[in-house]
Amino acid sequence: MERVRNLLRVLLGRALSQHGQEAPALSNILIERASGRFEPRLGAYFANGYCTWAPVRPADCYAVCERYAAWDLTSLRRALLCEAQEIYARMCAEHLAEVGRTRERRGMAAALLDRLRRRTRSPARDPVGEPEPAREEADATHLRGETQHRLRHWWAQQSDDCARYALFGTGFSADIGSKRAQDRGIRLLMENLSAAQRKQYEKYGYFDVTGGKTGKRYRIRHGRQMNIEQLDRNGRRVCGWCFFPQGSLVAGDIMLAQKAAIELFESDALRIANRF
Amino acid sequence: MAVQIVMDRTGDTRHEFDVADPEGVARAEERFRQLTGKGFRAVALSGDGSPGKLVGKFDPHVEQTLFIPQLQGG
Repeated sequence: MERVRNLLRVLLGRALSQHGQEAPALSNILIERASGRFEPRLGAYFANGYCTWAPVRPADCYAVCERYAAWDLTSLRRALLCEAQEIYARMCAEHLAEVGRTRERRGMAAALLDRLRRRTRSPARDPVGEPEPAREEADATHLRGETQHRLRHWWAQQSDDCARYALFGTGFSADIGSKRAQDRGIRLLMENLSAAQRKQYEKYGYFDVTGGKTGKRYRIRHGRQMNIEQLDRNGRRVCGWCFFPQGSLVAGDIMLAQKAAIELFESDALRIANRF
Repeated sequence: MAVQIVMDRTGDTRHEFDVADPEGVARAEERFRQLTGKGFRAVALSGDGSPGKLVGKFDPHVEQTLFIPQLQGG
């Protein structure tokens, strides 16, 4: 039972990490039978259309079948959905609590920064103790407000990242690195995509690449891990591949490295990669 | 001017060198040797998004060389 629960946690965790605070509602649990050399898969389908899959072993589901007396696929799916909804509700609550704690920390830090700034930038006074003209004061207030807004924004970003890493671990598909590093990564990627790939990426958040050795089609989605799909002739997913360059690189760099690897040393990359 | 682009935590670090400057070329060659020795793969970028070319040996005439760290499975 615990194995299935862990699997569901992984699937649901992906949805939470992908969508942050706006966690989509869980609509369905899908079970795909084994076909040919492909293992059976368990999928979680969400209200916003997001769907994520993971391989499942029939033996893992046995405990669920026993507990819910579900001996056909429809009842098993219903039982899994029931389990998943319970787990998802708990995960969402934990996630929201963490976001709340983060906001509280952010608020405290912003207040502290504000106090510090007020102390260091108290209004200048003229020699006889009179305040400076109103216009100057207004400018100073505006500047303070802007600086405060920027600091808050930066702090919010850092705190959200911290919360995300605390929940999903440092290696998950969330973006890492400073905003500037991420922008540089995306710029480098865009410079090295063809016009069609660039258009596809801007519109859908993924781009297709052709394997240099096999001519197979792969889809690289925006992300750092588990973001490559192998497609068949009709554009349907065959399987997923996971490989990425070592070091804590930003998403843009990783996607560019994945593109280059598929185009230039496909077999080496797939030998290293994990299939899912 | 040729440029070597090394992927790192900051996005990338770019090292430009002039093909006509022997010192710059020597430094670039040394960098190439060090990085490929560490497992980086050097790719000559095409600049138009078409597949580039794997570079096994330093070539100062390659306009843009991208260094990709060693891959790992996830």
